[in-house]
Amino acid sequence: MNILIKLQQIDRRVIYALVVVVLAVPLIFHPAGHPTLVTPEVHRAFEVIDQIPKDKMVILSSAWGPSTESENGPQTAVLMRHMFMKGIRFGIVSWDQAGSQVTYKIGTSLEKELHKQYGVDWVHFGFKLLNEAALRGIGTDLPTTMKNDKLGKLVSRLPVMNGIKDFHNIGAVVEISASGTLEGTMIYTTQPNGLSLLYCPTAVMSVEAYKYLDSGQVKGMLNSAVGAAQYETLIGMSDVTTQASITTWALSTAHIFIIVLILLGNLGYIASKKAARRQGGEASND
Amino acid sequence: MTETMANWLAAHSTSIIIWCAALCTFAIYSVLYAENKFYRLFEHIYIGLAAGYGVYVTWSELLGPKWWIPMVYDGQWYWVFAAVAGSMFYFMYSNKHVWISRVIFGFFMGVAAGGMFRGFYEVYFPQIGSSMKSLAPGANGWWDTASALVFYVLLFSAMTYFFFSFEHKHPAVAATARAGRWFLMIGFGAIFGATVMGRLTLLIGRLNFLLNDWCLQQVVPDWKSIYFKIIAALVVVVLIALIVNSIARPKQKNSTSSASEE
Repeated sequence: MNILIKLQQIDRRVIYALVVVVLAVPLIFHPAGHPTLVTPEVHRAFEVIDQIPKDKMVILSSAWGPSTESENGPQTAVLMRHMFMKGIRFGIVSWDQAGSQVTYKIGTSLEKELHKQYGVDWVHFGFKLLNEAALRGIGTDLPTTMKNDKLGKLVSRLPVMNGIKDFHNIGAVVEISASGTLEGTMIYTTQPNGLSLLYCPTAVMSVEAYKYLDSGQVKGMLNSAVGAAQYETLIGMSDVTTQASITTWALSTAHIFIIVLILLGNLGYIASKKAARRQGGEASND
Repeated sequence: MTETMANWLAAHSTSIIIWCAALCTFAIYSVLYAENKFYRLFEHIYIGLAAGYGVYVTWSELLGPKWWIPMVYDGQWYWVFAAVAGSMFYFMYSNKHVWISRVIFGFFMGVAAGGMFRGFYEVYFPQIGSSMKSLAPGANGWWDTASALVFYVLLFSAMTYFFFSFEHKHPAVAATARAGRWFLMIGFGAIFGATVMGRLTLLIGRLNFLLNDWCLQQVVPDWKSIYFKIIAALVVVVLIALIVNSIARPKQKNSTSSASEE
C-alpha cells in the first residue's frame, strides 16, 4: 500500500527518462516482424492501388514536412514501393517546401533499389503553393497546373506524362497529410471528378477521418506508421525490417508501458484516498 | 586557406548537419527537464527562421511567379490592379478612408461564403446520405443489421444531446441526451488515444534520429563494443538511482520544487 502511494510522487522527469529507455530498445535492436492484423481500411487502400490500370497515374498529394517524417515518411515509402512493384506511374506534389526535399529523397532511394527511372516511372512536381486553383487544376489540366517538375524540367515533355492530361487519366489521389488538407482535396479534386481518394494522416487526425470512410468519400486509409506497417504486410514485406515496423514495435512497447503507468497511478490514487479516509477517521476518534 | 576550409566543410557537411540537428533537438527537449535559457535561445532562433522562411516562400512561390514576373516581364500589365486591390486592405488604419477597406473585405467575404457553401455541399451532403443505412441483412448477414442499429443509436443520442430547441425535461429525451454525452466522451477518448499515439510516433522519429543517426553513427560508431555497453549500463544505474531517490523524497519537498519551477 505504502509503495503505491510513494509511486505517485515520482518526478515527472523520471517518467520521461523511462519512456525514452522503453522506446530506445526497439530502436537500437531493430526487431523484425510486422503486424498480422490488417485493418479493413488498409486492405481497401491496398485494393484501390492494386487495381489501377497501367495507363493511369496516381497523384500523391503530400502535405507534410520533416516534423512528421516518422509518421508520413513510412506511408509515402510503402505506397511508392507498391506502385514501383506494380509498374503504376505516379506523380508526387508537395505542398510543403521542406517536405518536397524529403519526399524526393524517399523516391530516389526507392528508385535505385527497385531499378526504376525518374521521369519514366515517376515524377516529382516539386513544391507548389496549396490553393483552390492548384487543387482544381489537378483534375482539369495536370501538366499545365504543375508546369515544371522539381528539377525545373517541363512536365509535359517527360515520358511519364504520356497520355496524362486530366482526371480521366488519373487512377486515384492519395492525400498524405499532417494538417487539415483532406477536405480541400475532396471538394476541389476528387469529388467533382469522381476520383478515388485515399488518406494517409498522422494518428492525431485519423479518428476524425472515419466518417469519410463510412460514407465512401475516402476509399481507404493508412493510419500513421502503424497503417504503413500493415500495408507492408500486404505487399509481402512482413519479414523485412523497415522504419514502419521499427516504429510499430517502439509504439507497442510504449503503449504497454503507459497502460502500466495508468494502472499504477490509479491504484496509488485509490490507496492514498483510502489512507486519507483512515487518517480522518482516526483523527475524529481522537 | 578558404579553399581548404570549403573542402573540409564539403567533406564533413553530413556530420555538421547531423550534429546541428542533434544540438537543436537537445535544446528544444531540455525544457522537459526545466525551463532554461538554452531552450529559449533555440525557440527564438526557430521563430526567426520560420518568419524569414514565410516571407521568402510568399515571394518566391506566390508574388514573384504569379504576379511580379507576369506583370513586369511578360507584358501582363493588368496585374497592377491586383496591387491596387491589395493596397485597399491597408485603409483600415485610416479613420477617414476606412470605407475603402470595407469594399475589399466585403468582396472577399462574399467569395469565402460562396466557397464555404460549396465546401459544405461537397463534404456534408454525402454524410447525410450515408447516414440512412439499411437495416436489412447485408453481405455479412445479421451483423450488418446490428452495426446499423448501433450506428442509429449513437447518431440519435448524439443529436439529441445537441438539440437545444426545448428543455430536456421528458425522461426519454433526458436519458437519450445523457447517453449521447457518454458516447461523445468515448469518442473524445478515442481521439485522445490517437493523439497520444501520434505524439509518441513523433518522439520515436526524433529518438530514432538521435540514437541511430547521431549517437550510433557519429558519437560511438563502434557501439557494439564493451565501452558502449558499460555506458548504457551506467545510464540504467543512474536512472534506477533517480527513481529510488524520487520515491524516497517526501511529498512536501516535491510539491515545493514544482511550485518554484512554475
